[in-house]
Amino acid sequence: MLKLNSLQKSIILILLVVWALVNIFPLGVMFISGFKTTREIFMDPFGLPKKWTFNSYVKAWHVANFAAYFKNSIIVSLVSIVLILFVSSMGAYVLARFDFPGRRLIYLYIIAGLVLPVRLAIIPIFLLIRSFRLNDTLFALFLVYTAGGISFSTFLLVNFFENIPVDLEDAARIDGAGVFRIYWQINLPLLRPALATVTIFNFIRVWNDFFFPLIFIDTDAKKTIPLGIQNFFGEFDIQWDLLFGALNIAIIPIIIFFLILSRQFIAGLTEGAIK
Amino acid sequence: MLVPALAIYTMLIAYPFVSSLALSFFKWPGIGPKEYVGLANYKNVLTGYMSREFYRALGHNVIFFILSWLTGIIPGLIFALFLSAGIWGTNFFKTLFFIPNTLSIVIVGFLWSLLLNPQWGFINQALKIVGLGVLAKPWLGDTTLALPTIILVNAWRSMGFFILTFLAGIVGIDREMFEAARIDGANEWQIITKIIVPQLIPIIGTLTILKVIWSFNVFDIVFAMEGTQAGPAGSTDVLGTLFYRIAFGGLGSSDVGMGLGATVVTLIFLIVFPISIIYVYLVEKRTKAG
Repeated sequence: MLKLNSLQKSIILILLVVWALVNIFPLGVMFISGFKTTREIFMDPFGLPKKWTFNSYVKAWHVANFAAYFKNSIIVSLVSIVLILFVSSMGAYVLARFDFPGRRLIYLYIIAGLVLPVRLAIIPIFLLIRSFRLNDTLFALFLVYTAGGISFSTFLLVNFFENIPVDLEDAARIDGAGVFRIYWQINLPLLRPALATVTIFNFIRVWNDFFFPLIFIDTDAKKTIPLGIQNFFGEFDIQWDLLFGALNIAIIPIIIFFLILSRQFIAGLTEGAIK
Repeated sequence: MLVPALAIYTMLIAYPFVSSLALSFFKWPGIGPKEYVGLANYKNVLTGYMSREFYRALGHNVIFFILSWLTGIIPGLIFALFLSAGIWGTNFFKTLFFIPNTLSIVIVGFLWSLLLNPQWGFINQALKIVGLGVLAKPWLGDTTLALPTIILVNAWRSMGFFILTFLAGIVGIDREMFEAARIDGANEWQIITKIIVPQLIPIIGTLTILKVIWSFNVFDIVFAMEGTQAGPAGSTDVLGTLFYRIAFGGLGSSDVGMGLGATVVTLIFLIVFPISIIYVYLVEKRTKAG
């Protein structure tokens, strides 16, 4: 810990407050504008609304098919995360606990994906999905997100396995438990903290992604939130009350979710860089 | 039990990368037969009719990297030092600074394009109120300002990530080194420059590598704020938007085709790959050491 005098501390505090305001101001303007009419947004951009109205939310919700976007975003995130957790934890278990020829090579092959930006391979992925006739379905997104999450998740879980003692497994093996049961009943519960990090990391990645829905999804009812918002902005570019309403609908839930789980979020997102 | 991970990863990540490389030697509009053209696509992109657009976009990616490094890594480190000083409200600031980073890049882009709107945008209005009306600019409509503006918006979103990554690094430094230095008569400034910053070099390296990878793959924020044409007049066009227009259409592209698109991504890949290898190597080494 640095030892600072009170003048230094006050200067630092002021700079921190300034940066905090730079963070809050755009979000605050967005939040408050969501309760105004378009006229009010233009005439009095920084004032509070004269009458707080939920009109823009209600209108945006109905005009933009938000119910469908939310449902799709939730389904895509849930399914992809469950698949990632299952597939990566099994893979990590084998890579961490069994010795076989080529083990290290397979591990390196998988973690090479940590730095392969998946979107650079989008053309063949697109063709593959199209040949399965899965374009314009949520299945396309499940597959792409699961594949894109395997490297980081496996990497993190293999590392975590090294902190889990093997003794429990040995005891279970003597009692006659099979490989899958040892994985499922003994290791999965112990992996929980790492699984939480994997979940958050992938949740943010999938929930916020715009690129893959842009490539794969055409039908409005199948869009996720970021893609839905994009359309909305194209269509209603002068109805600012609707635009702010839509932004709020898209942003507020994730901010609340973050505030509830901020420690896990921060760990999940910075872990990759510190490791 | 390793098979599902390997199969999915191979089918949807590893194979497509190889396949994309192969496709770059063909001319193919997306349907019908492929025509082998050898290095013609590369010639077109690097020295032929696409080269002007390609180098302009590449230059923008380089600018993106340099400016986003300067506006990301340096302030990130400074704010992390501030937060490590044990000041009142540190946890509150940590959480607050991280909020923009949890938001979708496109949504951040849309929010800021409203705030930066030349007629009614809040930024210009605010400048007028504080008497700096001369500074009010059409931020996203000016060919010299648009790219730096986008980079700043990107910095706004990602700052929390840099701050907290550095902070985790600072917290991990052995406290006894500070005490020992103090006993030797070091002041706080020397502790920062002689102990903390050198200890953070691996993290600076990792973040720089990540910045290179991100900067050469940037797409969403340009798309959200300037569209597929990356206006005004292509002044914000990056390799990502150029690629998107070539491979997935969009009016106004000079040429459209999967082969040519694959060529552009292969070139991006060739730039990013060596740097990526260093990253995987470092990550491997550090996890083994730790």
